[in-house]
Amino acid sequence: MTRRRIINDKIKEALTWLSSGISAFVLIAIVVFIFSRGWETLNWDLLTTGYNSENLMADFVHVDMNEFSEFEKPSNLKDDAVFSSKYGIAFVDGIDANKETYTKVVYLDESSPLQDGKITTAGPRQGEQLALHEGLYLQKISYLDEAGDKKSAGQMSPEGKEASELVAILDNQSVEIVDFYAQTEGGGLRGSIITTLILIGITLVIALPLGIFAAIYLNELAPKNKLTSAIRSSIELLSGVPSIIFGLMGMTMLFPITQLFGIDGQSITLGAMTLAVILLPVIIRQTEEALINVPNGMRMASLSLGATEFQTIYKVVVPNALPGILTATLLSISRIIGESAALIFTVGTAITDNPAWNAKGTSLAVHIYTVMGGEQPNFELASAISIVILTIVLILNVSVKVITYYMTKEKDEPAKA
Amino acid sequence: MEKDINNSKDNYELISEKRTKRRTMYKTIDTIMRGLFKLSGLISALMIVLIILFVTIKGLTVFLPSYENPVDLGNFLTGMRWRADQQDYGVLFIIINTILSSFLAALIAFPLAVLSALMITKIAPKRLSGVLTTIVELLAAVPSVVYGVFASGVITSLVDNIASFFNYTTFGGNSMLAVVLLLAIMIYPTITSMAVVAINAVPESHELGSLALGASRTQTNFKVVLSSAKSGIFAGLILGLGRAYGEATAVSMVAGNAFVGPTWNPFGITRTLTSTMLSGMHETAGVDYDIRFSVGIILMIVILINNFLVNYIKRRIESGE
Repeated sequence: MTRRRIINDKIKEALTWLSSGISAFVLIAIVVFIFSRGWETLNWDLLTTGYNSENLMADFVHVDMNEFSEFEKPSNLKDDAVFSSKYGIAFVDGIDANKETYTKVVYLDESSPLQDGKITTAGPRQGEQLALHEGLYLQKISYLDEAGDKKSAGQMSPEGKEASELVAILDNQSVEIVDFYAQTEGGGLRGSIITTLILIGITLVIALPLGIFAAIYLNELAPKNKLTSAIRSSIELLSGVPSIIFGLMGMTMLFPITQLFGIDGQSITLGAMTLAVILLPVIIRQTEEALINVPNGMRMASLSLGATEFQTIYKVVVPNALPGILTATLLSISRIIGESAALIFTVGTAITDNPAWNAKGTSLAVHIYTVMGGEQPNFELASAISIVILTIVLILNVSVKVITYYMTKEKDEPAKA
Repeated sequence: MEKDINNSKDNYELISEKRTKRRTMYKTIDTIMRGLFKLSGLISALMIVLIILFVTIKGLTVFLPSYENPVDLGNFLTGMRWRADQQDYGVLFIIINTILSSFLAALIAFPLAVLSALMITKIAPKRLSGVLTTIVELLAAVPSVVYGVFASGVITSLVDNIASFFNYTTFGGNSMLAVVLLLAIMIYPTITSMAVVAINAVPESHELGSLALGASRTQTNFKVVLSSAKSGIFAGLILGLGRAYGEATAVSMVAGNAFVGPTWNPFGITRTLTSTMLSGMHETAGVDYDIRFSVGIILMIVILINNFLVNYIKRRIESGE
């Protein structure tokens, strides 16, 4: 070999290493970016609270503040919390995802006079007892000063926007608290998580039987003729259609079907039906692969024992193909969680807290699209949701790999023996 | 004795009658289930036809004279301006933008993907190749919207930096270059996994023959293995391009939705078929709503023509050997 060829070869080999290095780098970059931007926002509260914050106003009955002695500051309070020894309550300052300042209650003493307020906001909860409890975002608090005048402090008042200022006013100027206006924590993902789960449920109920039946037909019953190969290639074509086209299909073709159920406009059911069509090729291919792997001898044995065709399929073939069907299900779930374009058209982009099968909603993926679409894209929240989605999707894909690994391993072992 | 015989005879008749009944029942179940399986197969196959049919019909209605204020088909197909607010819908520049950005993305992703596939199948040691396969599979599994977040966070600022290096200003990094880079990342795993399958299907004898003739390992990989796997690799390119044309959510996050075009400046904002379909989602009726289906038809046609073209080129290359 000439020296030139060796150099040439080395350069080419270096290029292959470089190009696979780039792919690893991109994956790492995505994961690092998503985690670095979203990790701080991600917490349990984010997953369990609703998106829309609840507005709460509450009155306090007249209490004589002289009955209360000074409250003691709890030792486990964080450094940035400001404690009011008069009312036994602590606040912190902060800036929320929309870049606005807030005052959050972080501690309320058990015997504090602020424990028993009565909700005055109109609605089903009117008259209920409400404490100015931990986790509430204080907007305004009204108090009586020594002259007996009603004054207010808090985010929505000119004074007391900062926790330290607020506590100073409460401790030094107020005689008694009259009422308060606070908001529950918002911006949570509960509604979108439930929507995603409903979507997964309805989609699988539609797509699994249809897909598995079609796979059984193609593998067990279909004669080898032109019709069968036409069916196969049309299903193959379906997997190449972009998801946005499926969204259009949902809007024209499936929409009249949901109208039969009395649904007007976009709905979770419409989205689920669209997803079912998207998933058909995936489920059919995975199931068929599993069916092909069931040894023909089993079918023969079952049939020769007098079982009917359906009995053979239902009691012999399908149970042996179950791992493959499980793989199909997991892949489908992963696809549903990640799907966005088709759902934007069929389920809508309005985030809801009370998802229902016949109403609009957003899946987690569309939730990202919505928060990124505003005037100011909310990267922190989008990245936090991305962490959730990415983790679930990657776990599902890895489990599929593990299942497939054990399936092939099991098959190989008896062959070796 | 006689009674017993009679009894067993009755029993026998009873049993055989039961048996016949059961057999007919089984036969009915078989027929019903057979029908059900076949029906599912047919429904699944019909879907693609129904999709094309429904989208086409709905998409064509806006051009019909019976439509409330019909859009001019000629202007739609040749127009270079898309102003939904002025009822001006020209889709030609959007088609050019879509094809251009997808082709540039494929230009970046294709060599990287083929080389990575070669690495996975032939060069890397077994464990490393397992790791690389997993990386490619995970990249393929990352949902498009997550790529969108990544693109509008990282790729746009990268593009912005590059642009300021060349003394250009961008709209926060939203640009054709951002779309191209994003699409390149997104179609890379598709092409790679197809290329891996194609390379694995190359018979070992080809390689051994080449090595026996004195070619080096690298020469064999590049000249024999890759050229034998050509048709499979091209199939991957078709799939990748199809994905690039149809990619919606992520692209619409960084495209910027230009009103006129086509966009030739890589730092300028662009508009693709999919980003057009996704924009203005609040409409639920009227031209702005229905025109989406017309854009959908165009998208399907673009993908179809692309598949034909790439198949044609593939055949030319194969027959040219």
